[in-house]
Amino acid sequence: MTRDTRETEDTRQPPLRVLHALADRVTSDRERRRGAWSRGFTRRQVLAGAGMAGVAALGTQLVTTRASFGAPGGGTLVVLFLRGGMDGLSVVVPAGDPHLAQVRPDIAVPAGELLPLDRGFGLHPALGPLHELWKKGQFTAVPATSTPDLSRSHFQAQDCLERGGSSTGTLEGWLDRVLDGMGPGTTFRALGSGPTLPRSLAGDQAPLALRRIDDLRLRDPDSVRGRTRDALKALYTGVDGPVTGEVASGLASMDIAAVLGAVPYQPAGAYPDGDLGVGLSQIARLVKSDLGVRVACIDLGGWDMHTHIGTIDGGFMKDNLTALGQNLGAFAADLGDRLGDVTLVGMTEFGRRVAQNGNAGADHGHGSTVLLMGGGLAGGTVHGAWPGLAPGQLVQGDVPGANDFRDVLGELVVRRLGLGTATLGSVFPGHAYHPLGVTR
Amino acid sequence: MHDRVNRRSVLVAGAAAGAAAAAACSRLLGSGGPEVRQVDLTSAAPARPADAGAFANRDASYAAAGGQAAVKSAPAPVLVYPTASAAAAATKPAVPGVLANGDPVLHLLRRATIGPTPAMAADVRARGIDAWIATQLAPDTIADPVADGVTAAFPLATADLPTVNARVRPGDWDAMTDYGRYTLARMVWSDRQLYEVMVDFWANHLNVPQPGPGSWNVGPAYHRDVIRRHALGSFTDMLLAAGRHPAMLRYLSADLSDRGSVNENYGRELLELHTVGIDGGYTEKDVRNSAYILTGRSVVGDGSPGAGTFRYDPDRHWTGPVKVLDFTSANATGAGGLAVGDAYLRHLAGLPATARAIARKLAVRFVADSPPPALVDRLAKAYLDGGTQIVPVLRLMFRSGEFWASVGQKVRRPLENLVASARALGVRPGPDNAAGMDTLLNRANDLGHRPLAWRAPNGYPDVHAAWRSAGSVVGLWNVHRTLASGGVPGLTVAPAAQRVAGAGGAAGAGVAAQVDGLCRSLCLQAFRPAHRDALVRFVGGPAVGDDAADLVALVLDSPYFTLR
Repeated sequence: MTRDTRETEDTRQPPLRVLHALADRVTSDRERRRGAWSRGFTRRQVLAGAGMAGVAALGTQLVTTRASFGAPGGGTLVVLFLRGGMDGLSVVVPAGDPHLAQVRPDIAVPAGELLPLDRGFGLHPALGPLHELWKKGQFTAVPATSTPDLSRSHFQAQDCLERGGSSTGTLEGWLDRVLDGMGPGTTFRALGSGPTLPRSLAGDQAPLALRRIDDLRLRDPDSVRGRTRDALKALYTGVDGPVTGEVASGLASMDIAAVLGAVPYQPAGAYPDGDLGVGLSQIARLVKSDLGVRVACIDLGGWDMHTHIGTIDGGFMKDNLTALGQNLGAFAADLGDRLGDVTLVGMTEFGRRVAQNGNAGADHGHGSTVLLMGGGLAGGTVHGAWPGLAPGQLVQGDVPGANDFRDVLGELVVRRLGLGTATLGSVFPGHAYHPLGVTR
Repeated sequence: MHDRVNRRSVLVAGAAAGAAAAAACSRLLGSGGPEVRQVDLTSAAPARPADAGAFANRDASYAAAGGQAAVKSAPAPVLVYPTASAAAAATKPAVPGVLANGDPVLHLLRRATIGPTPAMAADVRARGIDAWIATQLAPDTIADPVADGVTAAFPLATADLPTVNARVRPGDWDAMTDYGRYTLARMVWSDRQLYEVMVDFWANHLNVPQPGPGSWNVGPAYHRDVIRRHALGSFTDMLLAAGRHPAMLRYLSADLSDRGSVNENYGRELLELHTVGIDGGYTEKDVRNSAYILTGRSVVGDGSPGAGTFRYDPDRHWTGPVKVLDFTSANATGAGGLAVGDAYLRHLAGLPATARAIARKLAVRFVADSPPPALVDRLAKAYLDGGTQIVPVLRLMFRSGEFWASVGQKVRRPLENLVASARALGVRPGPDNAAGMDTLLNRANDLGHRPLAWRAPNGYPDVHAAWRSAGSVVGLWNVHRTLASGGVPGLTVAPAAQRVAGAGGAAGAGVAAQVDGLCRSLCLQAFRPAHRDALVRFVGGPAVGDDAADLVALVLDSPYFTLR
């Protein structure tokens, strides 16, 4: 399917050519600084220049040499962070393992209720929409995934995963380094869904954090619109400050938001109420509008289930998985054919103890399960090493980290975003990359 | 168990729908576990969190990300002066920028208030920097008629527990809603501005989100009796009060923790977030012992007489020797467990690691996102020397060169920008202050920064790197347009045209003079010529006409207002 046929097909969408004309290319601040350094600027001048360049980028100064629309390897990676420590054993259930029911008498999902996968695994029945995708090769998972030195503190573990390394020498978010390695893109190439910026996107790049595309529309009267924009640009020109990047992004995306906002969006999927559905629908809309989205981050909390994980008939796990399945199913339906261009990875900071606790919940553990959905996946099988739940295989009561997050994420950025494997060394410092073959 | 399930269900639903919840992890219930089982440490997991690669806290991690996010702390003098005014006079801004105009009064007001006003600036100039700071540090001596008058309209915010129990159906949000209005109204209208800054600081440090399911009756009391009462007192007293407060005990599941099912949630956050910090040197075993010490602290349940009051139950207390860092106790009896816990809290409050963690947070709040280590060390020492009193720490900070050198190195977060806008515009109470507060609270909610609403126990981020958002930038520009055009029903906002006319001095003074006057009245300083000229070009004619509100908004959109 070409872009032109889509344009004529869906008259509810704003003309793509208009949007593309507005989608100014931006480059990274780091790149600007490097260029400036190489020309012998002082640090101060570089900073001052970056501020001005950020705003000047709205014009033609920073049009890049590398086209972003429809470029080879031009997929989109969506990182869904399941915050709180998702119990992987309740999601992709090792039903064939006799030890599970023994140590989880009240909370193990009965084997007969599972939606069948392979290698003895079954999917929680609340995830029906994902099982439909499994049948089409568009959903799979990697169990027993962690990173060796991960902490049991939620905040610390999330921080290490989002930076891509536990060393405090690893400063930027891991996706910031991915974007740096990919080179320039459009204003919309990196999205953070939410009011604050995900730690994984923090750094030198110019991510766009927003809750709704509509947030980017300036509500000023038509009579002053052009003048307001000129004044805002001028007010931030020559300003060396920490806000110039997002001011430039705001100005650059404002007109696109106005064009998009003029037509109410009608998602092709039925999202449940809630922030996740809002965020996913915005991502789907921007992807379908071909605005050069390469990376998007979004969160779903509520996984810290120390009590009452529940059963397939009710409880926190069923509730949260039902919401997750419905949202992801809606996202897939909304993307339609474009799901093939998008790969979503669902990750969490740690899994939970294999044995249930005294409150029919499970305490903080180690390895958990990575969920993968969308295009480019090697479907039909659950990936990665799985040592089983025999007592001798556990690491002091926890699922071990038989697979490493960085291998899963690394494979996605190489295969779906087109990043060179050589660059992975800077994305995940100190990690030797061993792809698991989750992509085809 | 039934109560437990209901609360959790509310939390899950709240996380899905809650506006400020998007970035918050939901770790609101802690680790219940079988009796006295030691935590299993995987061979892979480090024994001490500090060994796993720890920044001091989330904000330190964000601030380290660098790039455009970073406000570099330029080399600053590390001198301590006899008075704040002497420090101000001797110190130049370390980084040139639009705010570095050599007027220390404005710098002080941008940091020690949520938003300067011309009246407050005149007050500082009349009384002097030292006298003004001294007064602000003694808030009881400041009459506060406007804020008191408005907040009287939110009676459940200040009602005692029996009144709330009698007037609010269990689980309903009425009291918490009134408390949110009360909080925002005091931010906007209180003349005790430094106190309100510190209230916000501590409310985030010991965060118990409002609204939150366990807080329906006890939330306002928590913020009054723990946060507001001790905001300029001693941290030891605040920590002790939090450790006995039903809102905190419920939020971090301590009320569910007993000797048979020890819950680690509060014990862990007490160490990681409230006191010594993730790099404080404690082990996972210390976390477990911390949880043991706190068992028995509970809350009278809804529906019982005295619902929502603190209760210590000796039979639920875990007994036996405990050790956390260098605190030890035989902890031999259930009856003695409450005293052991208080001794433990006192001990933690007085540890050097706690001093450093709090000193760093204060320096982040008042000085820079990556504060100078020498300043942090100095403030930590003042904290310890003063027996965990807060005021001596703040006094020393204002006497420090680093504070006065840090002009323009902070960015207003969304709520601060919103409140500062209302203050700059002189928004006044009006015919329906509850409706007015609700409008502003909803706008803050849209920006992800409704007061007291961060759902995770680590509080809202306080560094710009975490708040970088084009959506928020444009969202704030829209807030400025709403406020400038008087679009807050229930409150009183002077018409923009009147403001412009009043700012321009003599009739017929011309657009440039009007723009200059407007910048001075809203940002308390002149703009650079290029920026002033941009606003003159925006007007585009000989006089400001129908576009007055948009002109006013542009002044608030400018970097002169965005930075603090």
